[in-house]
Amino acid sequence: MIMAKTPVAVLGTLAEFHKEPIPFDLNALVQLVARLRPDLLCVDMTHEQWQQRDFGGLPPEYREALLPLAYQTDIVIAPIAGEHPPEEPTVPGWRGKVIAILRRWLATLQRTSPGPDAINQGLRHLMADLLYSLSAWLAGPTTGQKLRDHTQRLTQAVRELARRDPGARILVVVNVRHCHLIRAALRKYPEIQVVKYLDL
Amino acid sequence: MNSSPDLKFPVIVLSPYTLHQDVWKLILAGQPGLIVAGATSDLSQITAFIPSDQTSTILIDLPTPQPEIVRRLRTLAPRCGLLFLVQSYELSIILPLLQVGATGFVSRDASIGDLARAIIAAGRGEIVLPAEIAVQSLMALAQGQPIEQEMVAPLSERETDVLRLLALGHTNKDIAQLLFLSVRTVEAHLRSIFAKLGVSSRTEAALWAVQHGYGTPKLK
Repeated sequence: MIMAKTPVAVLGTLAEFHKEPIPFDLNALVQLVARLRPDLLCVDMTHEQWQQRDFGGLPPEYREALLPLAYQTDIVIAPIAGEHPPEEPTVPGWRGKVIAILRRWLATLQRTSPGPDAINQGLRHLMADLLYSLSAWLAGPTTGQKLRDHTQRLTQAVRELARRDPGARILVVVNVRHCHLIRAALRKYPEIQVVKYLDL
Repeated sequence: MNSSPDLKFPVIVLSPYTLHQDVWKLILAGQPGLIVAGATSDLSQITAFIPSDQTSTILIDLPTPQPEIVRRLRTLAPRCGLLFLVQSYELSIILPLLQVGATGFVSRDASIGDLARAIIAAGRGEIVLPAEIAVQSLMALAQGQPIEQEMVAPLSERETDVLRLLALGHTNKDIAQLLFLSVRTVEAHLRSIFAKLGVSSRTEAALWAVQHGYGTPKLK
């Protein structure tokens, strides 16, 4: 019997820069995801947050765009964070100063993105990934391990969803720092087909 | 993309007031996933707005909805969902409408999000009722109907979960969200359930479930 692979796309956001002005309307993100029309929309949120409808601490992309969209369409929200995401790395000394500079560059990337998909395409996507990787490396092995553990939890949750609902079209919307790692991890599983979000 | 990028669910507004029609058109047109196919106060014009290639919902905004309206709409638009706006969920108003073919009810106090999802669910033929009165309504509808014979084949654990949630009055989307499954998967489970119960619609399946004790919340 040939088993259909479950298509999974990963869309990154720079959701942590809440205070940075987002040059595009969040409605652009709504339109993008509404157009993709995934069956399951995986978000970096714990089951407890979901059950208790505790959305206060979530980034505006989730709170103001994706959750309302899912509520009134057939898109099903799947909370995939086993635990709350780790805090942003802060370390003393020169490494802390360099991390602060890298984060300013990340904020600039968000500020200059013309639309929600810009951060997922081309050099901007690679640059964001590189800046986050450098930050994690500078923050030291403990922070790096926490971030890897979190990514691993997200990946396993997506895999479990694909196992329970094979063939469902899954869109994972998480901070861009997890994108490359999740895609790479999911590609190892034969039952999952990692696709570009526009090909979902 | 595999899916149709701009596939939107058609809704037709039936209201006696022009201003209400215009307001509904404006509000509903702003909702992702919905498209207003038309608005009218004239029942006989309804058919002109119904898309031939897609299921749709008629949103009925009448001060006092009467069963006769449902009968006429069922004749004119047999495949459309008939969704009524109501002041409150009074069984004395809702049951006579359900019995002649109404699909669902939304309170005038509901949010626009609630209304949008109700429109989509009703268009798929799902009974849209708040969970608090769904079981009562189904039991009232089931009264006098003979209890169906036993199921043809046993239900799987997942199918049992789906049937229990159906009997509690949940829509396919609600069921999908509660079980973290896609709506299409829930629909597939329902088709399998219908076959195993020997029924041909979700209403019959829901009635079967209520009659067989599935309409009570699962004990943990």
